[in-house]
Amino acid sequence: MRNRINQFSPDADMSYYRRIQILRERKLEDTKDKASYWSFADGDDYGAITPPEDYKFEPIPNHENGSFYGYEGWSRNFYKLMSEHPIHIDPCDAFANRWMNCLSWIRHENGINQFNPDYSYDHLRPEQEKYGIVSGIGSDAHFGGDYSIGLSLGWGGLLEKLEHYRKINPEHNEFYDAEVLTIKGIQVWMERTVREIEKAIEIETHPVLRENLEQMRECNEYLINGAPRTLREACQWICWFNMASREYNRDGAGCQLDEILRPYYERDLEAGIITPDEAKYYIACLLLNDPHYYQLGGLSPDGKDMVSYFSYMILEAADWLDSSCNITVRVHDGMDMDFLRKAVYYLFKNKNGWPRFSGDKALSEGFMKKGYPASLARQRVAVGCHWMSLPGLEYTLNDCVKINCAKVFRLSLDEMMAGEGEKSTKALFEIYRKHMRRAVEVTAEGIRFHLKYQVYNEPELMLNLISHGPVEKGLDIVDGGAMYYNMCIDGTGIATVADSFAALEQRIEKEKRLTWEEMYEVLSSNFQGMDGEYIRRMLASSERYGGGNTLADRWAVRINEHFTEDVNSMDGDGVKFIPGWFSWSNTITLGKAVKATPNGRRDYEPINHGANPHPGFRKDGALTAMSNTICSVQPGYGNTAPIQLELDPGMARDEEGIQKVCDYILTIFDQGATLLNINIINADEILAANENPDLYPDLVVRVTGFTAYFCLLTPEFRQLVVDRIIKAS
Amino acid sequence: MITNIQRFSLNDGPGIRTTVFFKGCNLSCKWCHNPETLSLTPQLLVYPDKCMGCGACMQVCPKGALQVVEGKITLDRKLCDNCGKCTGVCFSGTLEMAGTEMSVSDMMWEIEQDIPYYNRSGGGVTLSGGEVLLQPELARELLKACKEKGIHTAIETNLCYDFGVLEYLAPYLDLIMADIKVYDNDLHKEMTGQGNDLIFDNVRRLDELDIPYILRTPVIPGVNDNEKEISALSRLAGEGKNLLYYELLNFNPLGGSKYDGLDMENHFYEARPLPEARLENLKNIALQNCSSVRVG
Repeated sequence: MRNRINQFSPDADMSYYRRIQILRERKLEDTKDKASYWSFADGDDYGAITPPEDYKFEPIPNHENGSFYGYEGWSRNFYKLMSEHPIHIDPCDAFANRWMNCLSWIRHENGINQFNPDYSYDHLRPEQEKYGIVSGIGSDAHFGGDYSIGLSLGWGGLLEKLEHYRKINPEHNEFYDAEVLTIKGIQVWMERTVREIEKAIEIETHPVLRENLEQMRECNEYLINGAPRTLREACQWICWFNMASREYNRDGAGCQLDEILRPYYERDLEAGIITPDEAKYYIACLLLNDPHYYQLGGLSPDGKDMVSYFSYMILEAADWLDSSCNITVRVHDGMDMDFLRKAVYYLFKNKNGWPRFSGDKALSEGFMKKGYPASLARQRVAVGCHWMSLPGLEYTLNDCVKINCAKVFRLSLDEMMAGEGEKSTKALFEIYRKHMRRAVEVTAEGIRFHLKYQVYNEPELMLNLISHGPVEKGLDIVDGGAMYYNMCIDGTGIATVADSFAALEQRIEKEKRLTWEEMYEVLSSNFQGMDGEYIRRMLASSERYGGGNTLADRWAVRINEHFTEDVNSMDGDGVKFIPGWFSWSNTITLGKAVKATPNGRRDYEPINHGANPHPGFRKDGALTAMSNTICSVQPGYGNTAPIQLELDPGMARDEEGIQKVCDYILTIFDQGATLLNINIINADEILAANENPDLYPDLVVRVTGFTAYFCLLTPEFRQLVVDRIIKAS
Repeated sequence: MITNIQRFSLNDGPGIRTTVFFKGCNLSCKWCHNPETLSLTPQLLVYPDKCMGCGACMQVCPKGALQVVEGKITLDRKLCDNCGKCTGVCFSGTLEMAGTEMSVSDMMWEIEQDIPYYNRSGGGVTLSGGEVLLQPELARELLKACKEKGIHTAIETNLCYDFGVLEYLAPYLDLIMADIKVYDNDLHKEMTGQGNDLIFDNVRRLDELDIPYILRTPVIPGVNDNEKEISALSRLAGEGKNLLYYELLNFNPLGGSKYDGLDMENHFYEARPLPEARLENLKNIALQNCSSVRVG
């Protein structure tokens, strides 16, 4: 943890913009520190910084296995974490503190992150293993809260609310005790922070920074109990919630940022206590504090465009910061086209992988097919890697549950080849369908298990506070506190499977270049030898997923249709299941569970990334062909199968170029796409960065749904990103 | 005979387009970045670095033109008749055929997949190459098929051909993009194999077709990247009534590997695109003669 106090001479330029520049440079230093400290690579960039070297958190166990569980375990440990948490003050920053660790990671580092052993799901494990299911059991966060609850009440108001409902639900005292202790912990951290700010004021000699520290102190002293009144206070409160929630369990879901903050700005403007640059400074500092996921624009529940001048200001603030950021622009018919063009302009200007873009039409219409009205569907905002959430209303396990369809495929192929029956893609598909159906059933069972027992494992003490229901009912959001349970089940490896079916159909059945037995022998040997490699390349150059109405594209449509049908059929008992296609950064780990596949993939190599094709899917790598394919495999019920693109910086060097990119974006969302992630990078740059990542400390890439500093990714994952970009170029 | 259908083309006309590359050209510009489109007949491209030495191609070559030497394929072009049988068994990308006979319906099957993008962006289909005018029947049939589907059509042409062919295509054309490469006739002959008299005559007749057009100059280092050339060319461009704009296209160094693949000499293999400032300078010169000038 670096000392940032009194680092400038009293006459140094400290305009708002200059302060953001300094903070940006400091973030690069922090990123470098994290590279050597962090044990969790291949994940998001965070606003976290490294703690002091002598800092170590010792958890308080409440179980004989040395771990802690349930309301009591988590609240006590969170309170301890907050009480001991180091304080970081940067006089250039509008806001106090940074987060540095989280209880979920602490449990992992200490080897105590097992699901509460008092509740066993051993009966599910064999089939979870068989089908490569990432069950989601014990996963946390991954749904969005409603920030307006916390902003309207403040921590003091939340405590009052808890006491109010405790009287109504006395049987849930354990819940209320835990929630009260959680807030108390945050308040202790805030109080300690205010003391540190006071010390910093004594030391800081730059008059502007000293004044900033005074305001910081005043703001935070008030916010210990008070509800935010100004834009600065609102942003600082959001920072506190975000930091505390990250510290609790890495929650990174944000909100509809423009509409949440705009009223505060307008009140400040009316009161004559803010300027636009000051507002941008606050927004930039908020974005710096942590790259939580925020949405801009979209439709209000009654169908009006939510883009406002404040939405533009947020983009401008993000441009000032020029760092990693997870802003999503919601695209819809009749949207402010200048805003879309501005968003695309910043995407190409800063090359940080933001904004990304979500498609209102497919998302809303899809979610409505699960029985929800349009007004609700429009509120389901982009607040996660590849996911949407109804603020404070639903529990989802988004991005936590994966079925390894490539593994299901391979075991189906093994079964067919071992049997006496027909050898054909028709027969193979029937076996695959049978196993996929069972995999979905097992997955749904696992989710139901999680819903039943997760409260005894890890309650959602932070997100409960800004959800509608838990406090009112005295029940954790997992345990009946939520309004809706819309559980996400993602398939992975769609391209791996589709390409494999297509290769078998083309090379064996149509062209008769080899037999089933020859193929299987070569596959089982992992394509050994010259003959094996020849056949591997033959299979790999079959008609590919993403090529544009190819054999593999048609297989993918069938695979998706059945997967979607299977997932939807699991609905019942107040729980709905929503399918998607997304691997997050599990592309490598999921691949390690699968031996060679007939698409030419060798043993344990990565499966395809999300819903994207395997690299080299088409000679010209045409975006439109790939996009059409991904549009055709959208499950269509409100969750996403994102498109991940790499675009050359030269593509939008003028207004005409920007317009063409906008036209592309509008067209794909018309065609049913749900989410679009874009990296602006060229092949030379990424190759050089892969060679010497340390020389590119500020290279940010959107990896899957999240942004990360390239230098912080593991070499294996960097190579995955490089391969995708090189082939695309 | 075409070489390629390229989707999501952003630099071959307005909007998002699909570009169909025709094979065969009556010029042989020394800087051409699509050398595989020059010859009218199919050609085999060979990339030995990709070869895995399996020898499958040798087994099917009826002419014995292929040999694996030290683990890599070599081709004797004197023996090779470009039949393409070897490409059917090569899956490493070592052997690639440039030029394929493709029916209009097959081309349209590919083209129609991007209709939503054309509609949204004001894009469409561009016929390029090579030189489109050398295959007038194919060009007309393809353009007509596009128009029947409501697709915007454009061609990129060197205009070094009978103007009557342009008139033949005109009923199905929405836009013409034509190159005016070098003003000095002798230099034009030296650099492209033909003089520019016919080309410039055709430029001056373009207004007769009543179709909007764009005139473009590929700016080639050491050839026409000077005031004299650009001034003269832009003056010619500025004479047009239906000219949408005159465009200076920066030298494109891509295509080097294709020269290697064809065993052809790449006269500009060391050349690099002009710096932006230089192009801006030339643009300002052109603006003295032409009201609308772009840089691409």
